[in-house]
This record gives sequence, C-alpha cells and structure tokens, in this order.
Amino acid sequence: MEIDLTLNDDDVTFEAARSDTLLDVLRDNGYAGAKRGCDTGNCGFCTVIVDGEPVKSCIRPASQLEGADVETIESLGTQDDLGPVQSAFVDNAALQCGFCIPGMIMRSKVLLEETPNPDEAEIRDALSENLCRCTGYEKIIDAVQDASTRMSGEADVAADGGYPDGDDAGCGCGYPDGGCGK
Amino acid sequence: MSKTNEPNTDETEEERTADSSKVEEANPVEWDEAPNNRKEPTERRVVSHREEKDDAKKIVTGEAKYAADYAREFPNLAEAKIVRSDIAHGVVTDIDTSAAAAMDDVYAVVTPDSPEVPNKPYTSAGQSYPEPSPWDLRVLRRTVRFVGDPIAAVVAEDKDTASKAARKLDVSYEEYDAVFDTAEATNPEAPQIHDPDEVENHQPGADYERNVEANVSGEIGDVDAAFAEAEERDDLTVIETEWETPYQSHCVPEPHTTIAHRDEDNRHHLISSTQVPYHTRRQLSHLFDVPVKDIQVSKPRIGAGFGSKQGMHTEPIAMALAEAADRPVMVETTRREQFHAVRNRRPARVTLRSVVTDDGNLRALDMDAVTNSGAYGPHGMTVSSAVGKKPLPLYTHTPNIRFEATAVHTNLPVAGAFRGYGAPQGHLAVEGHMDEIAHELDLDPIELRSRNVISEGDLDVASGILKDKEYGRRIRSCGLGECIAEGRAAIGWDDIEQPDADHLHRACGMALTIQSSGVPGDELGAAHIKMNEDGSFILQTGAVDIGPGADTVMAQIAAEVLGVPPADVLVQPSDTDISPFDHGAYASSTTYITGQAVKKAAEDARGMLFEFASRMLDEPESAFTVEEEAVVSEVTGESVSLEEIGYESMYGDEVRAHVMGDASHCTEESPPPFGAQFVDVTVNEETGEFEIHNMVYAVDCGVALNPDLVEGQVEGAMHMSYELATGDGIIFDEEGQPETLGFRDYDMPTTADQPPMNSIIVETHEPTGPFGAKSVAEIPVNGVPPALSNAVRRAVGVRIGDLPITPEKIKAALDDD
Repeated sequence: MEIDLTLNDDDVTFEAARSDTLLDVLRDNGYAGAKRGCDTGNCGFCTVIVDGEPVKSCIRPASQLEGADVETIESLGTQDDLGPVQSAFVDNAALQCGFCIPGMIMRSKVLLEETPNPDEAEIRDALSENLCRCTGYEKIIDAVQDASTRMSGEADVAADGGYPDGDDAGCGCGYPDGGCGK
Repeated sequence: MSKTNEPNTDETEEERTADSSKVEEANPVEWDEAPNNRKEPTERRVVSHREEKDDAKKIVTGEAKYAADYAREFPNLAEAKIVRSDIAHGVVTDIDTSAAAAMDDVYAVVTPDSPEVPNKPYTSAGQSYPEPSPWDLRVLRRTVRFVGDPIAAVVAEDKDTASKAARKLDVSYEEYDAVFDTAEATNPEAPQIHDPDEVENHQPGADYERNVEANVSGEIGDVDAAFAEAEERDDLTVIETEWETPYQSHCVPEPHTTIAHRDEDNRHHLISSTQVPYHTRRQLSHLFDVPVKDIQVSKPRIGAGFGSKQGMHTEPIAMALAEAADRPVMVETTRREQFHAVRNRRPARVTLRSVVTDDGNLRALDMDAVTNSGAYGPHGMTVSSAVGKKPLPLYTHTPNIRFEATAVHTNLPVAGAFRGYGAPQGHLAVEGHMDEIAHELDLDPIELRSRNVISEGDLDVASGILKDKEYGRRIRSCGLGECIAEGRAAIGWDDIEQPDADHLHRACGMALTIQSSGVPGDELGAAHIKMNEDGSFILQTGAVDIGPGADTVMAQIAAEVLGVPPADVLVQPSDTDISPFDHGAYASSTTYITGQAVKKAAEDARGMLFEFASRMLDEPESAFTVEEEAVVSEVTGESVSLEEIGYESMYGDEVRAHVMGDASHCTEESPPPFGAQFVDVTVNEETGEFEIHNMVYAVDCGVALNPDLVEGQVEGAMHMSYELATGDGIIFDEEGQPETLGFRDYDMPTTADQPPMNSIIVETHEPTGPFGAKSVAEIPVNGVPPALSNAVRRAVGVRIGDLPITPEKIKAALDDD
C-alpha cells in the first residue's frame, strides 16, 4: 500500500506492507536515526514525533499514518549546526553508546515544547519510558535541564555546539574545553 | 589462565617466608617510569580534560551507524530467523523443513545437517587462544540443553517472511529430565547435561558426570589450622555467612546484529556488533576451516556491550546463512532472545567463613563459590575464579586465605562475561561479611576495614591465589583511604538523623571495591599512527570502542604526546583488515593496555618529528619538545610547525619519509583501581519498604584521562549495580521456560525509579599506566548490593544476603526476628 504523510516538513509517499510499522517504513527509507531495540514499545529507542506527540514508532502501524505529520531526529540540526537539545546532550556528555539518544532527544524535545522549564521530577517523569543502559540517566537529566535554559535564552549557546561562553575559563590549557576543573 | 594449586601443608613457616620474600623482590615498589608519564595537572594539555566524545555529534544527529544501519548498503540483503528449542533438555528427533523451504522468498532453511553449517565444537567466549572455556557448543544443535538452544535457521527476503517460515518448521523432540538448581545438578542421580567425549578443551576440575564444568581452588597459609586454633582460643571468633545472586541481563541497547557477505574479492566480510573483532576472526577461521586472511570483521558503532558482545553469538549463523543463501544476510536478534538465548550474569551461591581477633584483625578467610553456568560453559571457569580472586585482594594481608570455585551446568540460559566478571557476586559476599564481623565485634564497619585493607606499597598475593606461589602484584597506587573519606563525607555517614516516625529507620551502608586493569601477562594491544601533510594524525588501534569513549581517550593520549588538539587525531574504528591486533574490549583493559600502546606509538612518531626538526632547525633532537602543533627547541625557542614538517616529510628536498609510529604493549602488571560505595537508606519496619536517598561512589582510577567519561562509567555502572541489588533478574517456571521475555517483565531502572547518585573521582598516579591511568569501566558495578544490604542491616537489624533485596524479604526477616 502507499502512504502519504508529512515527514520532516516534506510531503512524501512511502510504499509499505500491511504488517509494517512506522519504524520499518522509516528505516527502509533511509531514516535510520530511530533505532530498533525491542519491537514491543518498551525501550523508547525508536521514539519519533507524530502530530506533536512522542510515539514509539515500532508499535505504530504504518497503515495508520495517512496524512500524519512525522518528525524524526533527521529534522533537527546538523553536525555543523546542532539544535539546542542536541548541543546540550553533547556538552553535558549525556551519551555513551548512543543507541537510545535519538529517541531520548525526540522525547525531550516534546517535553520542552510542552513544558519549557521542567523541574527534575517532570523531566524524570517525561523520560521514564525511554531506557538508557549506559549513563544512569544523571547526565541526561542535566542535559535536558541545560537545553531548557538554552531554549529560554538564558545562556549563550556556542556557535560550534561547544560549551556556553564563560564555562571554559580557569584551566589555562589553551584548548577549547570546559569544566575540566584544573 | 588460572590453574589449580594444591596447598602444600607440609611447607614450613621458614619456607613460606622465603617464598614471599622472593616474590617481594621480584615485584619492587619502584617502577622505571617513562619520562613525561607523570604530569602535574597544570602540565596536562589534553589528558584529564573533559574532551568531547569523538562520536558525540553524529550520535545526536542520528548519523552514527550501528550494524543494522549498514543494511541499506546491501540491496539484495536477506534476513534471518533463528529457530530455538522450546524444551529445556532433550534431543531433536526430526525437523521437517519442507513447508518452510517451499514458501516464496525463502532462500534457505538450515539445520545441523546442512553442509554450510560447521559441526565442530567451539566456545562462543571471545578470549585469548586457546580459550580458557570448554569447546562445548555447536552452531546448530541436535541435543538441546536449555529453552533457547538454536536448532535451525531460516533466511528469507525479509524478517517477516523468515519468521513466518520458521513457524512452519515441524520439530519433534525426545524429551529428557532437566535440572535447574546447581545443588541438585551435582547429585550423581541428576540428569547429565554434557557427554564429556563431545566436549573438547576441558577446563580444570571438569566432571561432566556431575555436571561440573570446572573446579578450581587455592590456598595461602593454612586455613584449617587457623580454624582449629580458633576453636581453642576465646579471643578468636569464627563467623560464617551465605550469599546468593541471580541471573542479570546486560540489557544491551543494540541487540546482537551481524551482516555477513562475500566481498568483491570473494572474502568473508562481517559487519558485527562485537567487542572482540580479532578473536571472532580467529574463531570463525577455525570453525569454518577458512584461512584467517579470508575473513574480515568490521566493528561499526556499537550499542554497548557490557561483556555480552565478548563472544560470538550471531556471527557463525550469519556466515553459514550467507553461504546457504548465496547473498548478504543480516541476523538481528530480538529482545526476547537477548533476555534468555544470548548471555547473562551467572548466578552464584557463596559461603564465607572467617577467623577474626577480638580487636578486628582478620586471621583467616575461607570462601567457596558455586556458580550456575547454565547449559554451556563460555567464561565459566574464569568468571567463577574471579568471584574470589577479584575481591579477596582487598584483604590480602589476611595470613590464611582459601578459595574454591565450582561452575555447574543446569538446563537454564547460558552465563557469559558481564561487566564485573564475577566480582559483583564476590563483593556481595566479602563486603557483606565484613559488616557481619563489625556487627559481631561491635566495631565501626569502616574502622574494621581500615585495620585490614590493602594500601599503597603493599604486595597483593591474594589475586594469585589460584596461581603458583611466585605470584604477587605490587600496589603502586591506592586511593582507598581518600575514597572512604570523601564518600563518607558526601553521604553524610556521621550526620544521619532518624526520621520522626518510629517505624522508619535510616542508616548508611558501605562497601569497598576493587578490580583489575587487564588480564596480567595475557592481553596485547597495538597501535599505528601516521601523520597527514597538515600535521593531523590518523590513529589505528584495535581498541574496540563499544560506547564508553575508548576512541576519544586514545586520541587524547596521542594528542598529549604529539602536542596537538585531540580533534587532530582521527581514530579509525576497529577493523581486522586495518587495525593493529588487539584482544578486544574486555577485562577493563582498553585504557591501560591499548592506551599504553597508543602512547608508545605516538612517541615513536614524535621521534620522527624530532629527526625532521633537527634537520630543519639545525639543532640536536634532544633540544626538542612539542607544543601547540609545533616542534619547539627548548634551547633556542625556535620552532617548526607540524604542518611544515608534514609537507617537508612528503615533498621536501632532503629526506622523504612518512612520519609514522608503531607499538605493541603487553604487561604482567594489572594494577587495581579502587573505590568505596556508600548507600543512604530509610527502611519502614512495618512493611519492609525502603527508600534510597542517595548513592555515592568514590573511585580511584589513577589519573582520570577524561573526567566526563569516568563519571559516565561510574554512574552507568552504579545503575546496573543498583539493579542487581534490587531487581528480580530473570525468572523461569518449573519447566525452565523463561518468564522474563522483554523489558516490561524486567526491572531495569528508569529515570523515574533510579535513585539519586553521585560520583567522586579521587586522583592517584599509577606509574605503570598511560599518564598514570588505571581502569574504571567495571569496578563501580561491584558496590551497591553489599552497601545496600549493609545499610538495611544497620537500619533495621536484618540481613538480606540473597539478592534481590526486596521489601517482602525485609518484612519476612523482621517478622522472623
């Protein structure tokens, strides 16, 4: 069957089998940022945004997507021009293996659009269906808080996605670095 | 690796003293440290800075490519479904594949009889050669030994078709009695799981008629004499405790995935989610009888390993199916397979007996571990050995120590390597036991430990308890005292206030931790670095970055030596055609072993830079140092940029030679990192419910080469350690059928229920490590189970020694009191 939808602001038509999920369709068409972790909707690695809501694409049937507005990690910034949530994850070292990160970022993006200044409990609640095995979540929570600050314009965001201005002082090492504590 | 060592009880005290002074002399405190290895914090340009992880930007844009993301590069890629045994023990008497094979778009159905499927015994364990694991596996199996044994595989145009075809296989079994408990399994009447004649490379102490995969033991001093003396004397106390840990799943985010195909040179090429590309290449070569040169294993980005990818799980089936289907094949495991058909942390039962003086000096430790290997033996002997030999060095001063480990087969899922590698099971016993001693003697638990614990300058002999008497490990860096002090302050050990409600009780518990840095005398890391015209470098190492940031640390080490920013050192991912050899990412070895190879290779290249600079500046090589992308004379202040040298070296008029460096590193040293885990808990004595207010872990990993990455290791490992302490693990019914089938059945902590935690880095300097570094990846996984068990004990007076620690168990123990 053919499905017409809006993907990252473009009108697209995808060929899909009746049993395909949104994740199958995305990955078959080169949108591989969403990861397959469980196929049962329990890990959140495949989270994308559908009509403004975070959705686990591995359990959303493709057949239900006619006319939907889908956003994936590919719609955010590029490596040369990261979006604020992306650069907050980079600058807070909130990633290790990275397999959960595209889903985690998409879920965080919805949170910050709906709740621009979430407290820690709100962040923990919002991300509770997105698992991460590497970080213990500590730096991810920091990153989302930092992204919130950046998005509300309370701090400068370095153009290169690096540390916000003023955070790299002190070590005198001569390298663009921050918070090394030296 | 380890071998049994029968204690020589006839040995005299004088002979023992002579032995030990020989070992003392062979392992002096002094270490001939390389120049510039020890740098003051202000002298470090790149190392110990929070450098950005080299793959961070491509991860946040979704461009990082994991094994399954390469599927689109193979337009004719087929996908597979592995058919697994649904009984726990028996033999497949017939498989009718005709209906599946007749389906449209099914390319092949393979069984143990298929010519493409090797029928040799092998081990999946990705270890040094010959592997210290029994060769007891076949790629596909006629005799099945657990629910999940692979018996056939289907390859089809896509995964759905393969799955539909797999369901059409008609499998007949003859069922055997099964056994699920290690104590029952060693009973001579129990069903025998392996025929010893069908297993090669038996491990020490194997007794397959009693389902014993391996049995090892060793002794220091005379333990029986120490216990006999304790019976006679009033000032000696004997304490005995028992401990038990369950199956734990790695929960690797990326399921094990392999794409296998023949490349344009007709060689076998595998893109695989592996921690051990080189071991995998060698093992596939032996298994398929294909020359090593005809196999290439490429490691893309890996969605974490934690030990589960230290072995071949999908690779042999993928390679066989690619041959059978004559096209590229992807094998991607399901989450259900991850939970019960791949690998897990091995359950263990540990008993620990001690003799201790009234003032808290340990006189004897007698430790016995029985672990559950499940149906097969990868890593069985080595992990079981580690249950004792990893934690016991904390108390190496104890004059009499004995340890025995037995790995037992049952008809349950296969245990394998898992972050900590036996140490978490052992730490629960040792560190829980220490608190029981403190309680018995009415001593402060920290004070008791301080009287007995290892410290800098000591010779650790306990880690060699399973080796011969010549073994000792000199401790040249140990920050345990500071870890205890900082952790104690951070958790508020001395300032706990009791809640107002009478039924709530608050207390802190703690545990010391120790690990190693690589397998001593075994692991080999190698590196090659080459300079580009512009003064940037390409670094090739076999270091296998599976997520923690090994590539970033390697770049930092090279950059520190070469005077460039780390972004100017491009690290190529591990690939057996490109990278120098490496044993792989395991045993907490990458920074310590491969990092030292990188350092030496970079120094080798720096030597060439100085040769060029000498000609270009007409000064002796001894005058030079590197800084800010240039070679600078410390005598005249003259300098030449690396870019100038780069162009001169390739296109210059005098000497043309590519600036490169090579090195290998292998060492007998394996310095332990140390750490102290603290947990602050309130327990409700009416319900047994408990709340963890904070978990603090202070770690000494030498010089933390990248504090962001070190904190990441500590926080992630504490999360796993907390899960081991409180989660249900993997559960089975009485037929051995797994009841934990996915994340919804498994208690992996989420953002909502992971307790707060803090990591503290205590810097020491390890003279044998690159720029003073030791390992950090595994050690923080050891501490939460004993620290939480100790905290509950201190809060409400009951001991939960069998994990998980649950409100129900606490309540039951309180009711028994």
